[in-house]
Amino acid sequence: MYGDEGFTIFDLQLWAEGLGISFGIFLASSVFGLLLGSIIGLIRYYKVIGIGSLLMLGSEFLKNSPVLVQLFLVYFGVPALLTIDLSPMEAAIITLTGNTAAFIAVIVISSIDAIDKKQLEAARSFALSEWQILRLIIYPQSLAFAMPMFVSLAINQLQVTSLISVIGVVDLTRVGDIINQRTFEPFIVWPIIGVTYFILAKLVERIGTRLEQRFSVHQIRSEI
Amino acid sequence: MLDPAVLMEYMPAFWDGFIVTAKVSILSIIGSFVIGLLIALLRISENKICRIVALCYVDIFRNIPFLVLIFFAYYGLPEIGIYIDAFWTGCFTLSVAVAAYVAETIRAGIQNIDKGIIEAAKSFGFSRVHIYTKIILPLALTSSIRPLGSVFINLILTTSILSAITLGELTSASKIIASTTFRPFEVYMFLVIFYCVLTFALSALIAGWHKYLNRYNGA
Repeated sequence: MYGDEGFTIFDLQLWAEGLGISFGIFLASSVFGLLLGSIIGLIRYYKVIGIGSLLMLGSEFLKNSPVLVQLFLVYFGVPALLTIDLSPMEAAIITLTGNTAAFIAVIVISSIDAIDKKQLEAARSFALSEWQILRLIIYPQSLAFAMPMFVSLAINQLQVTSLISVIGVVDLTRVGDIINQRTFEPFIVWPIIGVTYFILAKLVERIGTRLEQRFSVHQIRSEI
Repeated sequence: MLDPAVLMEYMPAFWDGFIVTAKVSILSIIGSFVIGLLIALLRISENKICRIVALCYVDIFRNIPFLVLIFFAYYGLPEIGIYIDAFWTGCFTLSVAVAAYVAETIRAGIQNIDKGIIEAAKSFGFSRVHIYTKIILPLALTSSIRPLGSVFINLILTTSILSAITLGELTSASKIIASTTFRPFEVYMFLVIFYCVLTFALSALIAGWHKYLNRYNGA
């Protein structure tokens, strides 16, 4: 009977592939998002005329609308408007990168703002170049300040990756859906998928806390 | 080329979707608030088992994607003999999932209360129930209106995921409009702007309310 075939060894393979896709897209969009978001934050900080506030307006839109709709806009909307082809995977990476960048930009700006302004004045009066100030004063301190926010953002973005299954990327959630449709065993399939995400999130959290501690050690040393 | 005018005749369908989104949002906000408050109280209770149960609840629902939860509920509930439609499945799952965030927010509000106030109440002979209902909860809730507001705004954005279980809310309605008009860019752009305006308006209202209620706290 259709829908009553039980589990096979290939389901395990499918699960592993889905896990790989989910984690790969999470990593790619986090790295690209971190880069793009930092650039946007810095553009805003150095008040590059016009672009700064325009980019911030854009990131407000990304922060205040559902990621699912953003995915639809990029996957269905943009190719229709520009008559180009976009694979589900490309659309997923573009959308999640943009979304992550929007949040990163806000974190970057607030962590730079958290630095004592007197330090920057002191650095300028010692005739440090703007690049030296950025690298030696702003970067290490704001990173230590931003790290906890980055970690909670990463855990959140890991869960957001599940949405890409809706536009047809065969990620962990999509694998769950496929196996569930075939076996009709929701009480086995979905808890396994859920636990996989849970463990991934805990892993990201663990690594994040480790990094956090390292950077705050740096901060304490530089304060002494 | 861009042609937003084409959307005008589909406004009634869009509006119907919005009504469904609004209904699900309001019911789930109430549901998640009630469950969240309960979990928050368990989380700070003196019984160790209660605290562990609440901690596990929060940890589980904050680390599993909502889409996985909703699929589990949508396909799983009928298996155990609960036959409810997509609308109620959505309300139920949203309430249960968002309650974890509500609980953490309320807990933070409770733990920020000056311990002296509670000691003063105890020394005046207030009963435990009275301390909670007259002092702890009013103080904790007024100071956490703004963070609770952002949790609920996130809830409204999350309702879009219910389109995956065929609930005819805003995103679902837009999907249908996009496939009938062949104008996906205009439709989804309009939808993004609509959600943004909605959340901006709500967060402005919440910020104002927060300021008004906390006018004596210097916050």
